[in-house]
Amino acid sequence: MIIVDDVYKRYHTDLGVGKWVLQGVSFTMPQKVNVGLVGRNGAGKSTLLRLIGGVDIPTRGRIERRCRVSWPMGFGGGLQGSLTGRQNARFVCRIYGHEKDIQERLAEIEDFAELGEAYDEPVKTYSSGMKSRLQFGISLAVDFDVYISDEVTSTGDAAFKKKASGAFRKLADRAGLIMVSHGEGTLREFCTAGIWLHEGKAHWFDKIQDALKQYRKSL
Amino acid sequence: MRSSGNITWTVWKALFMREAVARLSAGRAAWLWILLEPVAHLIFLTAIFELVRQLVLPGVEGAMFIATGVLGFLIAQNTATRCKDAISANAALLTYRQVLPIDTVLVRAALEAALVVISGLVLLTGLGLLGYSVMPYDVLQVVLAVATLWLVGVGMGLILSVISEMIPELGKLSAMIFRPLYLFSAVIYPAAVVPAAYQDVFLLNPLVHGIELIREGYFSPYQYHTISGVSAAYIMGFALVTICLGLALHVRFVHRIVEQ
Repeated sequence: MIIVDDVYKRYHTDLGVGKWVLQGVSFTMPQKVNVGLVGRNGAGKSTLLRLIGGVDIPTRGRIERRCRVSWPMGFGGGLQGSLTGRQNARFVCRIYGHEKDIQERLAEIEDFAELGEAYDEPVKTYSSGMKSRLQFGISLAVDFDVYISDEVTSTGDAAFKKKASGAFRKLADRAGLIMVSHGEGTLREFCTAGIWLHEGKAHWFDKIQDALKQYRKSL
Repeated sequence: MRSSGNITWTVWKALFMREAVARLSAGRAAWLWILLEPVAHLIFLTAIFELVRQLVLPGVEGAMFIATGVLGFLIAQNTATRCKDAISANAALLTYRQVLPIDTVLVRAALEAALVVISGLVLLTGLGLLGYSVMPYDVLQVVLAVATLWLVGVGMGLILSVISEMIPELGKLSAMIFRPLYLFSAVIYPAAVVPAAYQDVFLLNPLVHGIELIREGYFSPYQYHTISGVSAAYIMGFALVTICLGLALHVRFVHRIVEQ
């Protein structure tokens, strides 16, 4: 269960304190629910994902995670460019306490990401498709109760997309999911509930169709 | 659920491995350069110093005198400058919420300590094989002085790491401070050669205290005399204050750092 309680967020910019991105966002996400996050560009979707993932801290308010929540996957975040793919994978396995069976997990990631020899090259030499394959592979190798996905499924070539979608399907059945995607089909496929972010507030819908309907109306 | 202590410990271990691998595999024979940096200083300065040593320090071997100064200075400087860049070098890893900016700084400080101990021992063994008398007169004092210089480096590193994240320009400026500091830290000369009128100002620099304490411990009282103002309490106090200030800055600005 994830409790988001009256969360406010604004960023500091070079010009001083920026405007509020989130203004009093509250909702409770039950464990086994898959939620799609919709809203216009700049509505604060990625900000909210970062806050839920604990990368960033709310300016005001509280976020409580009563389960294992992943970091926000997508856009190659969380990969250190100077390290090889394998070293990055090893680092993540270590910080999540998977020291004992690390070799099996590394092999699992290698197998999923299909990087070939590039697995032992520095990540900064990777294409963006390779980065997201690696990231996806790493996040599958760690056991979470809730996964956070920022457009993960939209990367890679057709073959990988198919594989990713299959893996995502399994993941969505096993664990909770919070995802941002601009593909409505993807949201409908994986999510049951929806959150519509609008003017700094979050609106919860038990059905993703209703969230999408509201979202389209606001455009 | 893992305990907080357990999580922090696994993060430190993972970061340590990540830093050690990066440090020892950056470029060709990177591990060799870690050893060669003090050696290069040592050979160059000893050559100069051997020419003048009879004038200033009868009884102290030039190479050992330089070795104590150079190693003492490099411990503080390398720890401070490596720690300063720790956060930006690990920015991508802050994506994982169990990794905090301060973890990257502390882990780098620990790695630097390990490297200093290893390269120092190798260097002393080498000097010993060359026939220099490398056994310190007072081992405990040398160890304490080296550890305190490292703590000064950690304190400076903690402060500078926050400053260079918040105000990058100031971070760059601070790197420049260390160069002239080399000349004002009694690295290549004994503190006693500083004229009495300037000693008060000279002794404001904590590195002078640390380096002179290393020498006082290394050489017997018959060989080496430091000046009266050198104080272990001063440098330890300096280390304590900078570390507390650095930790406070990290607590205060952790939000701003992870936000970027």
